[in-house]
Amino acid sequence: MATDLSPSAAISCQNVWQVFGAKAPERLAEALASTGGDARRAAALLRAAGLIVAVQDVTFDVREGEVFVIMGLSGSGKSTLIRTLSRLIDGTAGRISIDGEDILAADPQRLIALRRDKLGMVFQHFGLFPHMTVTDNVSFPLKMQGKPAAERRTRALEVLELVGLKGREGAYPRQLSGGQRQRVGIARSLAVNPDLWFLDEPFSALDPLIKRQLQDEFLRLQADLKKTAVFITHDIDEAMKIADRIAILRDGMVVQIGTPEEILLNPVDDYVREFTRDVPKGRHAHVGSIMETPETLPRMPDDPKLQEGMTIDAALAACMALYQPVPVWASNGKMAGVVHPRDLAGALTADTP
Amino acid sequence: MLRTLPPARLAAVLTLACGAICLMLAPVAPWVTKWPAGWTLPATEWIGAIVTAGLEAVKPAARLMADLLDYPMGWATWALTALPYPATIAATVALGLYLGGWRMASGGLAGLGFVLASGYWQPGMNTLALVVVSVPLALFAGAAIGIAAYERPRLRRPVQTCLDVMQTVPTFAYLTPLLVLFGFGPVVGLIASAIYAAPPMARNVLLGLERVEPDIREAAVMAGTTRRQQLFLIELPAAKRQIMVGVNQTIMAALSMVIIAAVIGGFDDIGWAVLLTMRKADFGNSLISGMVIVIFAVVIDRLSAALADDRPGTRLYGAFIILLAGFALSFLVGGLLPPAGDLALFNGLAAATDARLGAFTAAYGPALDALRNGAMFYGLLPLRIGLDQAVLPMTWGVQWTPLASAALFAAAGLAAAGLLWRGRFGWAVALLLATGIVETGIVDLPWPFVLFAAGAMGWVGGGPRLAGFALAMLMPILLMGLWAPAMLSLYLSGAAVIACALVGGALGLASAASPALWRVVLPVCDFLQTIPMFVFLIPVLMFFQIGEFSAFLAICAYAVVPMIRYTRHGLVSTPDEMIEAAVASGATGWQTFREVRAPYAVPQILLGLNQTILYAFSMLVIAALIGTTDLGQQIYLALGQGDVGLGLAAGAAMVMLALLADRLLQAFAAAQKAALGL
Repeated sequence: MATDLSPSAAISCQNVWQVFGAKAPERLAEALASTGGDARRAAALLRAAGLIVAVQDVTFDVREGEVFVIMGLSGSGKSTLIRTLSRLIDGTAGRISIDGEDILAADPQRLIALRRDKLGMVFQHFGLFPHMTVTDNVSFPLKMQGKPAAERRTRALEVLELVGLKGREGAYPRQLSGGQRQRVGIARSLAVNPDLWFLDEPFSALDPLIKRQLQDEFLRLQADLKKTAVFITHDIDEAMKIADRIAILRDGMVVQIGTPEEILLNPVDDYVREFTRDVPKGRHAHVGSIMETPETLPRMPDDPKLQEGMTIDAALAACMALYQPVPVWASNGKMAGVVHPRDLAGALTADTP
Repeated sequence: MLRTLPPARLAAVLTLACGAICLMLAPVAPWVTKWPAGWTLPATEWIGAIVTAGLEAVKPAARLMADLLDYPMGWATWALTALPYPATIAATVALGLYLGGWRMASGGLAGLGFVLASGYWQPGMNTLALVVVSVPLALFAGAAIGIAAYERPRLRRPVQTCLDVMQTVPTFAYLTPLLVLFGFGPVVGLIASAIYAAPPMARNVLLGLERVEPDIREAAVMAGTTRRQQLFLIELPAAKRQIMVGVNQTIMAALSMVIIAAVIGGFDDIGWAVLLTMRKADFGNSLISGMVIVIFAVVIDRLSAALADDRPGTRLYGAFIILLAGFALSFLVGGLLPPAGDLALFNGLAAATDARLGAFTAAYGPALDALRNGAMFYGLLPLRIGLDQAVLPMTWGVQWTPLASAALFAAAGLAAAGLLWRGRFGWAVALLLATGIVETGIVDLPWPFVLFAAGAMGWVGGGPRLAGFALAMLMPILLMGLWAPAMLSLYLSGAAVIACALVGGALGLASAASPALWRVVLPVCDFLQTIPMFVFLIPVLMFFQIGEFSAFLAICAYAVVPMIRYTRHGLVSTPDEMIEAAVASGATGWQTFREVRAPYAVPQILLGLNQTILYAFSMLVIAALIGTTDLGQQIYLALGQGDVGLGLAAGAAMVMLALLADRLLQAFAAAQKAALGL
């Protein structure tokens, strides 16, 4: 999963701050100056002074074509962060570049052009325009691009078919179910074929069953489209399911960034560990992440044909009755490493006190 | 010991003390009860001079505007009066069919049919012409204000305050400067109604825009809209429902004001017809012309309310055929139809009504008089001038003596001590204050006591700021020398509010308990809120003639509705979970009501009371037409004399009283709400 990504950054955030309150930029600069650039102490100073520090010194890159999930509990600043990224609100400090262009410095005209051509966004409460039909909703971004009506309609029908809403083109949002509404939201965000896809808790308002359907749908679409996506969620299972990489946010700070597996198997602190405690690790972690590559190979009488990319659950099932180390094979047929069945079981229980 | 009291009790005790001191001082220091004339500033003259100078400066522009407005006025009047009535009726019925189906269409037909048959078609169309021109002005101005306030959040607070004032300024108060500005003529009524009707549009536009979901707004931004595209393509259409509610309220307000503006006279409209017939005590005809106003109000209200439902109209063909038929009828056989004015099918009815009414008042005159005198002698007068002056051999059959005062206070003191003994502090203070007020009378209350009490209430409800606000609202009234009429206004509205609180509260309570009753009360409430204020005067005049009691009844009839609505709503809107929790704890029905429903409803009921007070204040001015002596009367007099200074000063005094009552009650409602964690 994390292996075949292109290394270039589609979005790059450097030391991004979002502080609310009177004269936030000046006071942030002062606070940083007085603490010698120590973000934690500066944030503490600002909070003590009654300002709200929603995003604190956040730095990360989103690689082209990956699904980058920002996950945190309510109040962790994740919604603010995605709004800063899309410049729905203006960041207080830092640098956010999209394809190398600093968007915090973009003027309103440039911003409108960027949104018309490059950005698509899906909202938690759908944000459908109540006075427009499904088709009009989906073709609205195209209308803003200045596309002629016929072309708008063709494209709208195309995306609607893509999200499985063929036949509901003339309906109004109020006539649709929650799941259908979000499909419209997704179709609308994809109408202009954006380079960057922002999804702000797109499935949080839906029932569990519908939610799972749409997650699968999302994975299917993403497999075809390979967009660079920033996906916000508060649901660790959802993050594990769809992320290429996850950033865990706490009190406006990034606590850990890593693949689902890294987060699961090597949590940086108790906070992250607490988060991931109930996640069935065997289902999300892979053999490759716990195998060893020793200089000298131990004696290996058995070969249950473990693959690097197998989940730990699957691997365990394959070597239920084995007590000796077994080889792990790479996808190209060469031996990639060794794993002891005992360690497979151990990985599942490592974090359970 | 005083230091250990909680602030609310401290304020109550101090207010009580202040009242007692004033009572004792009153005999030796007359300035306590009556603000000395020497301390009065000639503020009304100053205001008059300054405003008149200002008005003179803009007069040429205003006159130009009046001349310009004469054109659309003329066109509208021409169109509505020249159009044969079958065409007008057909247009209304077609619109009704299109917007609301056959029920609304037949309602429109019956209504306009009555108007035609009554013989008041012509004045009715003149009134409509005014509405037709003033409504677009009000809608446009209101929408512009609402959008401006939305776009510039810094403007919102001042705009809200401004709208509050625009709606509390008594309607007659700005007629006077408008008269100076625009000269006599229908244009004054036009402008006045546009001013009066713009605020609801502005409020609803602002409210609708604010309520657009943030996700919708952000979705528009992310689609790459410019600010203007976002506003006009997304936000305004998304707020359509709320905006249409504003359109409905604006139309109703414009109609109401156009009718009130008839007191200026000089224009043969339906309001004038009512006024004229009332003055001639021709109640049969004032009833019928009043009915015409009510019909206009109801038909226009239903039609414009249907705009807010976004069901697409489906009966386009039917509506078109009716329209066509109406026009065909009027142009083919129009010459054969009797002219609209000649129809007066109800002349006989009017005469019969008059005769019946005469017979009724002759038969039940003593009973009606007894009712009126009883209410006056035993209720209103003591409240107004106090028991010490109201209890006379002529009224109560005995003479009030200082000994009686002493006995009354002694009895109240004993009862209060008893209440205090049982821990009912609030009731004890309230009892003492009420005794003092009834003994003295609201009009004769010492002004230091009123100031102190208002300040103390402000302090308890909203801290030093509100206390300061209370004083800032009352001091100018004293200084302008309008204290006596202001206290009369306070007394009359106070009496009406007390009556409304009791009756409306009881009705609201009963409606909450019995859905069957609510099904009867609801349409009555709707009806009372639809008909223009002016019409309330007709029935009370018919039975009780000119006088304070009639004014009191008219105010009550108009102001009771919010009390009923809010009380019921507060009582029935308790969340089911709370009720279930109470029932699961084993509470009986009565216990659930007392422990859960009632406390939960208090903020709502206070807001209802607040609305009732504002309604009562706005009706005070209209009631001035049938004999009161308060601020409303001053405003009305000023209108007659063209005295801009007095009109504005008295209007301002009324606004200040209303705003004060409003802010105090809002503060208490907010405090109660916060205490409930809502």
